[in-house]
Amino acid sequence: MNFVLNLSFSDLLLLLPEIFLTCWLCVVITVDFVSPRLPKERLAYLSVGGLLVTLGCLAWFDVNQVSGTLFGNMFVLDRMAIFFKIFILGSTVLVILASIEYVDRFTLFRGEYYALVVMSALGMMFMASANDLLSVFVSLEFSTLGFYILVAYLRNDLASNEAGLKFFILGVFAAGLFAYGISLVYGETGKLVFSDMASAQATPGLIIGFLLIFAALGFKIGAVPFHSWIPDTYHGAPTPVTAFLSIAPKGAALAILLRIFIVALGTFKPTWIYLIVAVSIVSMTYGNIVAIAQRNIKRLLAYSGIAQIGNLLIGLAAGTKMGNDAILFYLLAYLFANLGAFAVVIAVSQAIGRDEIEDYRGLGRRSPFLAFSMLLFLLSLAGVPPLAGFIGKLYIFIAAIKEGLYTLITVGLINIVISMYYYLIVVKQMYINEPIDPSPISIRGPMKAVIYVGLAGTLVIGIYPQPFTDWVVAATLMFANFVTPAATITPPTVLIGS
Amino acid sequence: MLEELTAVFPILSCILFLPVVGAIVLWFVDDEDTVRSSTLTIALVELALSVFVLLRFVPESAAMQFAERVQWIPALGISYHLAVDGISVLFVGLTAFLTVLVVVYSWDTIRHQVKLYMMCLLALETTTMGVFLSLDLILFFVFWELMLIPSYFMIKLWGGGAERHYAALKFVIYTLLGSVFMLVGIALLDINYHQWASLHHSDHAYSFDLLELLTVPIPIGQQILIFWLMFLGFAFKAPVFPFHTWLPDALLEGPIGMAVVLAGLKLGTFGFIRFSIPLLPDASKSDTVVMVVVVLGLCAILYGAWMALVQSDFRRLLAYSSVSHLGFVVVGLFALNYQGLQGSLLTMINLGFSTAGLFFIAGFLYSRQQTTQLAAFGGMARQVPLLATFFLIIGLASIGLPGTNGFVGEFLILLGAFEAKWWVGSIAVLGVIFGAAYFLWYYERSMLGPLGSAVKSTMSDLQLREMIIAVSLSIMILWIGLYPSPFLRIMNGSVQALVDRLHHEKTAALHDGMTERR
Repeated sequence: MNFVLNLSFSDLLLLLPEIFLTCWLCVVITVDFVSPRLPKERLAYLSVGGLLVTLGCLAWFDVNQVSGTLFGNMFVLDRMAIFFKIFILGSTVLVILASIEYVDRFTLFRGEYYALVVMSALGMMFMASANDLLSVFVSLEFSTLGFYILVAYLRNDLASNEAGLKFFILGVFAAGLFAYGISLVYGETGKLVFSDMASAQATPGLIIGFLLIFAALGFKIGAVPFHSWIPDTYHGAPTPVTAFLSIAPKGAALAILLRIFIVALGTFKPTWIYLIVAVSIVSMTYGNIVAIAQRNIKRLLAYSGIAQIGNLLIGLAAGTKMGNDAILFYLLAYLFANLGAFAVVIAVSQAIGRDEIEDYRGLGRRSPFLAFSMLLFLLSLAGVPPLAGFIGKLYIFIAAIKEGLYTLITVGLINIVISMYYYLIVVKQMYINEPIDPSPISIRGPMKAVIYVGLAGTLVIGIYPQPFTDWVVAATLMFANFVTPAATITPPTVLIGS
Repeated sequence: MLEELTAVFPILSCILFLPVVGAIVLWFVDDEDTVRSSTLTIALVELALSVFVLLRFVPESAAMQFAERVQWIPALGISYHLAVDGISVLFVGLTAFLTVLVVVYSWDTIRHQVKLYMMCLLALETTTMGVFLSLDLILFFVFWELMLIPSYFMIKLWGGGAERHYAALKFVIYTLLGSVFMLVGIALLDINYHQWASLHHSDHAYSFDLLELLTVPIPIGQQILIFWLMFLGFAFKAPVFPFHTWLPDALLEGPIGMAVVLAGLKLGTFGFIRFSIPLLPDASKSDTVVMVVVVLGLCAILYGAWMALVQSDFRRLLAYSSVSHLGFVVVGLFALNYQGLQGSLLTMINLGFSTAGLFFIAGFLYSRQQTTQLAAFGGMARQVPLLATFFLIIGLASIGLPGTNGFVGEFLILLGAFEAKWWVGSIAVLGVIFGAAYFLWYYERSMLGPLGSAVKSTMSDLQLREMIIAVSLSIMILWIGLYPSPFLRIMNGSVQALVDRLHHEKTAALHDGMTERR
């Protein structure tokens, strides 16, 4: 294989958001280096400014339907890539705003924190566009590198160090699996680009290769049985990093999973559907049941995140265009609810200094705003109408029922009931129990803004979801011809009249 | 002028959202007395709107009236579709009526967090109205689920019992468990519509609209599956025996106001007559389904009455008598004939007056003795003659004495049951006898005879607010009992259309009758 790099200036336009963000990253680092006296808060706003410009650029791309491929199909910019880039950048902006206060806890390198967050976001933007196995590998490692450092950022905190080490060892292990998987797949097919693999024959080597790749991506999204790093890492990492980790990499990895399973392996759907169904069922059930026993809110959200990934995989198991739409929609709903919930956790931990569920006693008295927001976020995660999470779950379930996945749906529905139980435990602490220390909790401006954005997203997507459904339907249009028609469903005999 | 105004004025949306908007406004009110009086005003305006709808409602018609329809989520075929017909319009009035009474009752019995309580109550009213008004199944489901949240807080925060945390959680988890199965049933209906529509090149790819779903035939195997899925949802909520175990806990531990709404508004059985039976006529008619459901109904009648007989706590007795009454309603519904359906519908309304009324009485007793245990009562008729009198009137209505509303409903149900299967009717009659036994026995032990040792001699009789509640309930009870025809005329058209749909082979029959009009 020889690479010929033909790049015109107009081709580079497709890379404009990434190029701009790279330059901006350098600007942020330079500003921090040149003027060390500058309040670090300014750096946060500087990063947010750059991210917002990039978001605007992406929105412009989306409206004008800019699309194309670069570097011999390694990099693709289509509407789905744009969707995921907006998703990733949106969550990055919210995470940065939510971490402004928290950064004061770091003893060293406060300025670099923002640069590392932006760097991870940059890596994930490439993930959203990755269209062959090599670019997936490179961008995946690029974004994870930032996270390895971020997770262990609380240098004097034992839990944070432990979390960082665990995350690093398991992450490197997953990267090894991934590289091994790539080598097998390339050895069997001689292809790296997803769309070229569609015609491949199912040889044992290819199957093992894809299983290894799935394991590595399963590690990224935290699906059972690749979840073991999640609870400790979420628990120990600085809370804003946990929030970031719980949203953005999952979205980026799901973009890759969608491309691999639908574009490259679409014809093998009758085979891989069992794998996805199994992983989905185990993730939902394990996540929800273990979440019941948690006493720490970050661990509770970690396990609830594992369960949510199980829900998202239902959409992948459906394997249709509607299933993909549902995944994208669910991610949007999950973004606002989960980031909102973590924002409340950060705000409470700023005031109290602890993250135990017990510490939420009487939050309804101490800060009605925080408690009410947390209530809405948890109910949205549980899927209570008319919040965003309900429409998301409904969308996913309808897509799956259409494909006749009744077992999966039944398990999913029972899991909703289980999840309601532990979300209600938190609600009970907030509203029913009397606070030990009744002093009110104050929240600062940026944090308030994050929570307001989360509330607005949760409510608007729930009550008026039409623009968002239109958006996700348009974003996955290119899958319409890849998805194999469901061969198992025959139209039922229709009785008309007598 | 009035005609034109009602044609464009979205009165059902006003009824639906007035309470919740009121609840939001209450958030900004600080003074407790202002909170109380503004809640009462909102509830009265709501009642006035509902009465207006009832007055303008065209009786003897199966048409959907006052319809409002807007697309909500076109990608999934979900619409915002409200309308009333003979089946639902009476429930709208009943909900508004009971809410006013609960506000009056809670005036001085709720002493802490008054504002939050009133907000929960109004939110509960909106969700209940939503259940009765929605014609879109997802919209219906939204309100059905949302109802859990104010209910959870009401049981937990203002419940009197020590076990209220357990009761609230049990209530939420049980109802949620049922409703997730119902959601699958709803989705299957939607998929069926989608497949049918794509075969016939219809432009609506998906739909959750009751009226549109009614036009589509469903294969019988599919119907039976959907029926059982939806049955679980409705049965847990109703609750139909053996899914009733949350009810005694919730009614005993929760506040009286919550118990009135839970026991007075028969949402679960409303679900059967609104959705299950018209949408799935072949499944509802099939022998296995009728047999299983009717036997569950009979078990409920006997088990509920039997359990009620041995309860010493009045609220627990009422909970089991509710189970027993719901058995009657279910038996009447699945007699699947005109009298049975009409009687069940009327009984659902009646229970809103009698069972809810007895819960108010329980509340009056509770506020005097701080308990509803039998040991605290005895011979109270001498101390509180008015209370004892209204207790008797409402209680006799609940056991179906001729001249009260309970008689009309139960009589129609028994008539329908005998017509369908004689043995069902004869077992159901036993329930009436047991019903008289448990109520009269309890009444005798608590109100008549020598004065109980725990009864204070200074006990006061009914006060003004309590009189308002008792008198207005008694008026309704006697009105329906002595002159039921206005109520029956309202429901006749829709019940007739339902019977036609059940017994004509053409599944589109109901659709012809159920076209919309404004």
